[in-house]
Amino acid sequence: MSKSRVSRRQFLNYTLMGVGGFMASGMLMPMIRFAVDPVLEAGAAGDYIPTSQKVSELTEEPVRVDFTYDQVDGWYESEVTGTAWVYKEGNQIVALSPVCKHLGCTVNWASDKEHPHQFYCPCHGGRYEKNGKNVPGTPPTGPLDEFDVKEQDGLLYLGAAKPNTLV
Amino acid sequence: MNWTARDMDLYLQQSEYIDTAVVPLVGLGSEGPGMKQSASETEFLMNLTAFLEHQFKGRLMLLPPFTYLDKSDKARLASEWEASIADMPFKHVFYLTTDQTWSAEGIIGDAIWIPSIPLEHMDKKLKQSVLEDQVRQIIPVLTARWTGN
Repeated sequence: MSKSRVSRRQFLNYTLMGVGGFMASGMLMPMIRFAVDPVLEAGAAGDYIPTSQKVSELTEEPVRVDFTYDQVDGWYESEVTGTAWVYKEGNQIVALSPVCKHLGCTVNWASDKEHPHQFYCPCHGGRYEKNGKNVPGTPPTGPLDEFDVKEQDGLLYLGAAKPNTLV
Repeated sequence: MNWTARDMDLYLQQSEYIDTAVVPLVGLGSEGPGMKQSASETEFLMNLTAFLEHQFKGRLMLLPPFTYLDKSDKARLASEWEASIADMPFKHVFYLTTDQTWSAEGIIGDAIWIPSIPLEHMDKKLKQSVLEDQVRQIIPVLTARWTGN
């Protein structure tokens, strides 16, 4: 049996300190977590979006790859489907944005019968070569944008769009 | 182009290229099952026109949907709409609707009627491919009228 007996005063002191400390930590923890949060968050610009395209199945012929991501604009929250035209150039994977540099229509590969090896914009007949270079004499003023790409577990991941580096 | 201030700025600079207006016609049902039906058709039509706008952003302007009620006088509405859209500088105007009466009764003779497909039980992938199929059927109608004039 212990010699030191806990007095009523001591017992109340301990209890109050314990409860008070618990409540204080309950209030402080979220505050600290919120304050630190922006530092811990990964940079949005470096995010890669997974696609269902297997890298091993890519060929020299551009294929359409869809990917989805959430977009919040004011109070419209929507799931946006993006598209890329992806092909292999040697060992390098090239992913081009389908957004026409003229006024933003969606371009398609080989949809114009007269130019089967070019991207074609159905809106005003803009054309691009396979590497995204705009064909002079058609409305577009610049080459198609390019996506950052990486391979993970055999699947293709697409990053941010950047100005074309192939042209 | 969407009916937003930013797209409108671009439109005003580039109006010679953006020569087409797309008008979704949305019917508003006013009693129980009619409301459900109307909601489903509106969901379909708005999804479809958004997708169409995405494909042809640089050629067409998607107007806000024109809404009518069951008991609206369709002929009067149509003549009002057609008169005021004729004032806008669009060369081509496409009315898209899931309600057959507009084209069948010749109220708006060239309205494009699309059978509504309920999207509410579809998952994302299926929804997307269904909409893509529908848009693929509309595209020839658009290009025919674009090249015809």
